[in-house]
Amino acid sequence: MWGEPVSEASWPGSKGSDPIRVDAEVIRNAAEGGACIRLALEVPGWPGFEPGQFAMLSPGPRAAAARSDPLLPRPMAVFRTRVENGRSVVEILYKVVGRGTALLSEAMPGQRVGIVGPLGRAFPAPGPQERVIVVAGGTGIASVFELCARLARSQHVEVLLGARNAADLMAVRDFEALDLPISIATDDGSNGQVGLVTDLLEAALERFGTEDHSAPGPDAAPMRLRVFSCGPTAMMRRCAQIATEAGVPCVVALENAMACGFGVCLGCAAPLKRGGYALVCREGPAFDAGAIDWERMP
Amino acid sequence: MTRSEAVDSAVNLGGIELRNPVLTASGTFGYGTEFAPFLDLRRLGGFVAKSLTLEPRVGNPPPRIAEAPSGMLNAISLENVGVEAFIREKLPAIPEGVTIIASVFETDVDRYAEVCNRLTGVPRIAGLELNASCPHVKSGGIEFGQDPQILGALVRAARRATTLPLLVKLSPNVTHIGEMARVCEGEGANGVSLINAVQALEVNPETRRPVLANGLGGLSGPAIRPIALRMVWQASQAVTIPICGIGGIESAEDAVKFLLCGATAVQVGTSNYLQPAVAGDVADGIASFAERQGLARVSDLVGALELPQR
Repeated sequence: MWGEPVSEASWPGSKGSDPIRVDAEVIRNAAEGGACIRLALEVPGWPGFEPGQFAMLSPGPRAAAARSDPLLPRPMAVFRTRVENGRSVVEILYKVVGRGTALLSEAMPGQRVGIVGPLGRAFPAPGPQERVIVVAGGTGIASVFELCARLARSQHVEVLLGARNAADLMAVRDFEALDLPISIATDDGSNGQVGLVTDLLEAALERFGTEDHSAPGPDAAPMRLRVFSCGPTAMMRRCAQIATEAGVPCVVALENAMACGFGVCLGCAAPLKRGGYALVCREGPAFDAGAIDWERMP
Repeated sequence: MTRSEAVDSAVNLGGIELRNPVLTASGTFGYGTEFAPFLDLRRLGGFVAKSLTLEPRVGNPPPRIAEAPSGMLNAISLENVGVEAFIREKLPAIPEGVTIIASVFETDVDRYAEVCNRLTGVPRIAGLELNASCPHVKSGGIEFGQDPQILGALVRAARRATTLPLLVKLSPNVTHIGEMARVCEGEGANGVSLINAVQALEVNPETRRPVLANGLGGLSGPAIRPIALRMVWQASQAVTIPICGIGGIESAEDAVKFLLCGATAVQVGTSNYLQPAVAGDVADGIASFAERQGLARVSDLVGALELPQR
């Protein structure tokens, strides 16, 4: 089968940079149709990031008087970073889901938002003989964009995106610009197929299973398959289950609540199959789905 | 903020010499090295490491944390690497020139004493803090900190087990904090640290369940600061040993309030999560405050609270 484990290679040019803490200036913070908000922050000294890494953002702009309610910063995936007019810009995609994100949505250009990042262990870099299926749902879509962008030029990547409805579907245009095969599922069929993104995964694995993969990959090994997944816990649990049944390795990026993001509060513990816990912020967010004890995952 | 050179910031916390009165609180600062990207630890008076037990300890199931108004609840259950791994692996990784206080937690008096004994004589450990107050371990902390007799037995045993300066971290979940502080003083503690997290409960009305898997948790952050100030002041009226004030400190002004209420030093806790360099800023800011007030020493602020005449 195509399910042997692959080497957990790091990304080319990876520096494994230390995180920084900056009160970053808001350049843009605007809704883009639907429920998705795109925040662009100027982060001087941003050391770069790897696919799947995240940042902690202050809940709302930093005002003259310190805000203590809500208190905790929010973990958010780094969508992408780029240089704009010589400035280092970090883009974050989010939705208003509670008080912290509601306050963040009020941040005006010129105001400052505290950011600590990049944090966490990235997705492993797939080898050249791997075919990749990326499955993302809800705000988890923001976590996988960089992964897709980095692989788009060199790799066979299939992207499966899911959301409740078309308005909730993040960053579709950005994904389309990568020129990768994309399939979409929404609960109400307002974009793509009616149903769950995990239905798309089942279909994709079935299709792959009927194709001929005896043709060698670039290093003369047969092509292998790997699933990368980020989204609500129920979605990732189901992805892990489907992939396991198909004998395909699966990597998930977990999205547990956390207070610090750098291994100190111990709040983001994820239960492991071998017993005990792993910190999502430091040992993750990317994990081999087979290592997680999904039954004990809240 | 730059450090004021005109003001003497040094304090003596029960025999532990600190270059300034700002420590970081146990359980909010890991083993120190986690903060290296954000903060030069030598800006601090020192730090209190995560509580150590004889054996490594696995924490509670998730969810372990929840947000609360101006604060957070946690029920981690003192997950730690164990005293041996701390000495072997964590201690050598801490930069030179950083004052280290080890925190001790166990489930019975003998084991507490054993950990204290093990840490005594270990180079670079400047003092011990007995965690007698962790509010979410069913078989441990809460009983020690809440019963004067059990607390007395604990401090006595720890006192016999170590020659290091001994602080006792007190639980706020008591009626008479002054009495608890007096017990510690009577058994030979060199100081008391207070307050630990306030026992608390948060509930999800939809599921009708506690938000934390453990049920109860400890409330920390700015929400508990006025309670902590009150208890520090009450303890300072009851004992002559130094007090280390803890509870929701976010700024130098907050820290000064604790000094005025009788604390010789303070610990910054939950704020480290949101602002990993905040403790350094608090240390610098206290010196600036003292300078603005025309004081020669930061310690001139200790106990300087002025009460209205009645």
